[in-house]
Amino acid sequence: MMRTEADALPTLARESTGVSRYITRSTAIQSAVVAATVILVFAPILPIFYQALIDRPLYDDGQQFTLANLTDLLQSPNFWSVAQNTLVFAAATTIIAQVLGTTFAILIGRTDLPFKSFFAELLIWPLYISSLVLGFGWFMVYGPSGFVTLWVQSQFGEAPWTLYSITGMSIVAGISQMPLAMLYGLGSTALSNPQLEDAARSCGAGPWRTLRSVTLPLLMPSILYSSLLNFTIALEMLSIPLIFGEPARIGFFTTLLYTQGISTPKPNYGLVAAGALILLAIVMLLVFLQNRLLRNSQRYVTVGGKASRPKTLALGRWRLWALAFVSVYVVLFVILPTAVLFLRAGVSFLSPFVPFWTLFTLSHFHDIISFPAYVRSIVNTIIISVVGGFGATFFVAMIALVARRSKFPAADKLEYVAMIPRSIPGLVVGIGFFYALVLLPPLGWLRNTIFVLMVAYTMRYIPTGYGAISPALVQISTDMDRSARTTGADWWTTVRLVILPLIRPALFSSFALMFIHFFKEYSAAVFLFAPGSEVIGTTLLQFWVAGDMGRVAALSTIQIAVTVAFIYGIRKLLGVKIYG
Amino acid sequence: MAELVVSRLTKEFGAVRAIDGVSFTVADGEFVSLLGPSGCGKSTTLAAIAGLDMPTAGLIRAGQNIFFDGESSRFVEPEARNCGLVFQSYALWPHMTVAQNVDFPLKLRKLERKERKRRVDEVLALVEMTHLADRYPHQLSGGQQQRVALARTLVYRPAVLLLDEPLSNLDAKLRDRARSWLLQLKEQLRLTTIYVTHDQVEAMSLSDRIVLMDGGRVMQIGTPKEIYEAPANPFVADFIGTSSFFDGELTSAGATGRVRIAGDSEIAVAGTTRIPVGAPVTVAIRPDRLSIIASGAGAPDEAGTALHGRVVSRSYLGGRYQHEISIAQTLLRIDGPYVLEQSEVHVWVPASSCLVFERGASRPRSAVRH
Repeated sequence: MMRTEADALPTLARESTGVSRYITRSTAIQSAVVAATVILVFAPILPIFYQALIDRPLYDDGQQFTLANLTDLLQSPNFWSVAQNTLVFAAATTIIAQVLGTTFAILIGRTDLPFKSFFAELLIWPLYISSLVLGFGWFMVYGPSGFVTLWVQSQFGEAPWTLYSITGMSIVAGISQMPLAMLYGLGSTALSNPQLEDAARSCGAGPWRTLRSVTLPLLMPSILYSSLLNFTIALEMLSIPLIFGEPARIGFFTTLLYTQGISTPKPNYGLVAAGALILLAIVMLLVFLQNRLLRNSQRYVTVGGKASRPKTLALGRWRLWALAFVSVYVVLFVILPTAVLFLRAGVSFLSPFVPFWTLFTLSHFHDIISFPAYVRSIVNTIIISVVGGFGATFFVAMIALVARRSKFPAADKLEYVAMIPRSIPGLVVGIGFFYALVLLPPLGWLRNTIFVLMVAYTMRYIPTGYGAISPALVQISTDMDRSARTTGADWWTTVRLVILPLIRPALFSSFALMFIHFFKEYSAAVFLFAPGSEVIGTTLLQFWVAGDMGRVAALSTIQIAVTVAFIYGIRKLLGVKIYG
Repeated sequence: MAELVVSRLTKEFGAVRAIDGVSFTVADGEFVSLLGPSGCGKSTTLAAIAGLDMPTAGLIRAGQNIFFDGESSRFVEPEARNCGLVFQSYALWPHMTVAQNVDFPLKLRKLERKERKRRVDEVLALVEMTHLADRYPHQLSGGQQQRVALARTLVYRPAVLLLDEPLSNLDAKLRDRARSWLLQLKEQLRLTTIYVTHDQVEAMSLSDRIVLMDGGRVMQIGTPKEIYEAPANPFVADFIGTSSFFDGELTSAGATGRVRIAGDSEIAVAGTTRIPVGAPVTVAIRPDRLSIIASGAGAPDEAGTALHGRVVSRSYLGGRYQHEISIAQTLLRIDGPYVLEQSEVHVWVPASSCLVFERGASRPRSAVRH
């Protein structure tokens, strides 16, 4: 065509360097990402091991290695009752969450229940809100002096329930973990092939028989998987055991760590580290089981998961009963706890016997906005969620890019490292980073900043973000990068100009997930926050300890309001659906 | 623009040797095809040239620029090789318009905006896509996407143009049109080009020379004519222009040789001097010069053999018929304008269409190819 010497293109600068270069901009970035991931993931784990195996606090001189912390813990009279309480609570929570979650998943995913999408949205709500706030809501409705409890007592002389028991706590925790089981079930019904049910119907099975013999067994892998998730979450849950267990002197692993490490003037470092280590070991075992389970779930993978809309099961005369059941559930367990929380925030005193409209006051909100530390906790939480969520999304995207789209040696191992935080409870993350800062005096200045919280949250939610980004990355053909490389782009340019723009939707949903999780996180913060770096969760606990229910309700209301605004805003603005 | 040299290139994936000592040279401005069945190593070779895969051993050089040298473990990253690779999937970036896709390599080379625009316009005109410059890839047909993919590599004047089965995702009609268009473009541009394909028609019609590969090794290098008329071994004879094979024993050599095949019949074969008389041989028969003759009589005036066989199948291919004829336990396939009604026929096999290979040389994968 048009080739003349004058027309020749400038050669790319890189070409002129004669030798093959081992250190380039791209390999430097890749090495930095790998190093940062490894440091971030192991930073909280190693100090816990260290502290568990020495005879005095890790900042003291003259440390001796010892197994005394572990043997002391195992021999303490409390330990076995704590272990038993924790396991019973986790098991009961899981059973309640799974039974309810599976029922709702089938009702919403597979039947002709009226107003399905409306109910689905309401039923999922607890997932967006911190279990601390949910626990407070329950306390105000069904607690010993709760709104409904008092009313029932006045009508029948006695309320037939108490939340100050393992059973009561399991119900609260089970209902707050139900959405997770429901989501997994819904995901499974959405993918399942309706022809499998049609086949059962055509060979003579009635609707209920089909449900029992085909639909439910096909849901088994998702039920099992979400059971393990919920069991793990219940084991490491601090909020509900703290709210309902402490007053009743029912001890759990997490509350043990909290009382021995935080709410005592003389923290027992060795005991806390030993307890954290045991919790870590149990959760790691469970996560290992989850992975095993996922590997063997091929048997249940239904063939031909097309986008065909599954035909729904007609409920017939049960339709109204199902509607009544779902409505009552939603009113009692989703709307009421939230509504009473809102109401309590706006009145000076809440009781079924005094008309609440005579008691309206804005004083709780006023108390909060007129005290700088409280305002700071709200501002901090928003900054952490926006800035930290953005940073975490970028960091996790880089991990996924190095693990899946680079020739970095051992890039595939990076994915394993990135998944480790799944097996580290939030409380343990907080303890670990706290120890790490104590061990490394040069980093001490971080202690009073929200930066350390962002780092700890980022570490905790790497797997969550990875789960949102990695599948999108897999969908994009490697020819996209290869073609950019051959036309002259190095790895980093390829990533910036080709791959990241292509996975933009996944980056948005990862950011939304990170924001929600960062916004409601409290357990990793309780050990890490200091004056100046308070977050909503830690301030809520402070109000709770002081018994100031008005402020608890007001701050919870603010937290829910911001969450609602964020979720609807991001849906409108970016079209991001966070779950499903 | 420069010659490209590939020397003793080897690539192992674990214990599997995907390419095994592959060597060839592409002269400046030459169009060479890597041809072979799937899994023969041609795409691996191409990826190694482009720098997308790290070979195990060997040397790749474009002019004075060494891309890869196993001895000194020198490896130039793909972006520094200035190769232009057109992908089988086209690999157009879906978030960029046609013009943005083509402009991308120029941006990387930090050209001025005006100069970039001039070159993009020029190359889009060359591939006749000017009117679709602002479309996104998903709004284009397969043929149009393929032109854009080509434009995106031509725009920066690559030292070597690499084409990885660029026509294989097009339907048959479109493929023919694209092929003749590529041929025009090739005459116009005279780029050093390596074209990977499994389609012998594409390779034959486009290439100056063909590198025929199988099982990770080079089977033969030559012009399309050389490869067709003087295949180096039965595999080549079989892969290029379907052949039928007879095993036998060479009974005489010279200007016309003779081979005894099963059933004690003898056939006249093309002359050979390299193979000793008495050696076990394989005879490859090209079907295109076979003809049906009346029994015994009417033999054409040339060296050859009339073979007696049984018609096993008849199929109508639209405008012509294909017959399979069983001779000495081998199926000969013959195309002709008329259907053969009789069950037994005589087939005239000219000696010049019977190529002899000493047995033990590379064997074809199957006796009859479709």
